[in-house]
Amino acid sequence: MSKNVTNNKHTIADKMAKLDESVEWFYSEDFVIDQALDKYKTASLLAEEISKDLEQLKNEVEVLEDFTKD
Amino acid sequence: MFEGFDGWLRAKDDNGEERPYSVSEFIDYCNAMLSRDFDDILIEGEVASFKVNQGKWVFFDLKDKEFSVNCFMVLSQLTTAITDGMKVRVRAVPKVTRWGKFSLTVRQVMPVGEGNIKKSFELLKKKLALEGLFDPARKRPLPLHIREIGVISSTGAAGYIDFLKILDNRWGGLKVKTVNTQVQGLAAPEQIIRAINYFNKRGGVDVIAILRGGGSADDLAAFNDEALARAIAASKIPIITGIGHEVDESLADLAADVRASTPSNAAERLTPDKSAISRQAHLRVEDVKRYLLNEIDLTKKSIHGTITQLRTEVLNKINQDLRHIAETRKILESLSPENVLRRGYAIITGKQSPGSKITITTEHQILTAEVTNVQKRHQ
Repeated sequence: MSKNVTNNKHTIADKMAKLDESVEWFYSEDFVIDQALDKYKTASLLAEEISKDLEQLKNEVEVLEDFTKD
Repeated sequence: MFEGFDGWLRAKDDNGEERPYSVSEFIDYCNAMLSRDFDDILIEGEVASFKVNQGKWVFFDLKDKEFSVNCFMVLSQLTTAITDGMKVRVRAVPKVTRWGKFSLTVRQVMPVGEGNIKKSFELLKKKLALEGLFDPARKRPLPLHIREIGVISSTGAAGYIDFLKILDNRWGGLKVKTVNTQVQGLAAPEQIIRAINYFNKRGGVDVIAILRGGGSADDLAAFNDEALARAIAASKIPIITGIGHEVDESLADLAADVRASTPSNAAERLTPDKSAISRQAHLRVEDVKRYLLNEIDLTKKSIHGTITQLRTEVLNKINQDLRHIAETRKILESLSPENVLRRGYAIITGKQSPGSKITITTEHQILTAEVTNVQKRHQ
């Protein structure tokens, strides 16, 4: 489970980076209106996936030691 | 019980007859009884005649309205500042010394009452500040990407539960590794120090959070322990404290790399807010959508403008050509033989010599005539 969580976290970071890249394209000199709709769809999908991934991530709590018993 | 002793009071010989104690035996017996009945006892009283000898040994009297008892302890075990007149709680072992003096061998001291705690706090704060323990330059920022948090707290405490709840609300995928310790009382500082050392030795955690919910000055006094403040400052792993409420300031807070006002605030300081991130991601896409629609609108307007301009240019060209055609037509018309005829002139065709027949064309008629004479004209 912990491995998946870590992987998911990386995925979120990756998706955030991809979203940044997609958004920046619109304001860059590379912007071409013919490609804009596809790029917009990609960005919108990424935002949805990020929200979904964030909701699915759970924390893992473990009590390692109890020093009150010594 | 000592061999050869009978019950509580009398020593007996081999024949069962009472014999006198040696002084050593008596003192050993007293200490054995004290150890059995009062081992690690908690006593509260007022400090008097406090002094430190040779930079190693601490002596003071602990007294109330009627009685007083001598106290002794090792300086390194004194982890809070005390002065004469201060009310303290000590954990100690009672003992009769080899010189027959009764005293308490003190293991721990903690001021009691808000005024005393504050006074002790201020004394220690000044001392540790002079050593540079609270220097902002030695404080480290929290790691940007936290995967594992070492938590030192009482697992049954409300502050710990609040911390986990806020953590879950704000972010996920974290590993929270907890060491359960007391967070108040005389035993708390030692347990928390052990936990700090444990995490530093174990490694793996990106940050250590020391947590305790709100409480009275007495409840929070454990966090004004000198040894604890030093352990926090010495930790290789960055430490965040979330102790008490906003108004509560402890030596642990001052020594920590980051001080959060409460356990909940510690969770907020350690994690980004997933709701805000999700919202921000969607807002960015919304911004792009608005930008894109605006660009489409601008492009449409631009195309429309270009079409209008082209249309105007084509119409102008057509009109210009039409005008040119009309003018040419006028010129052509003015040069037409018909126009000459209309003005009353005639066109003569045929051989222009006497006796020849010629054709004369007027606007309305064609005449045939015979040339009778040809003469040169003088202009």
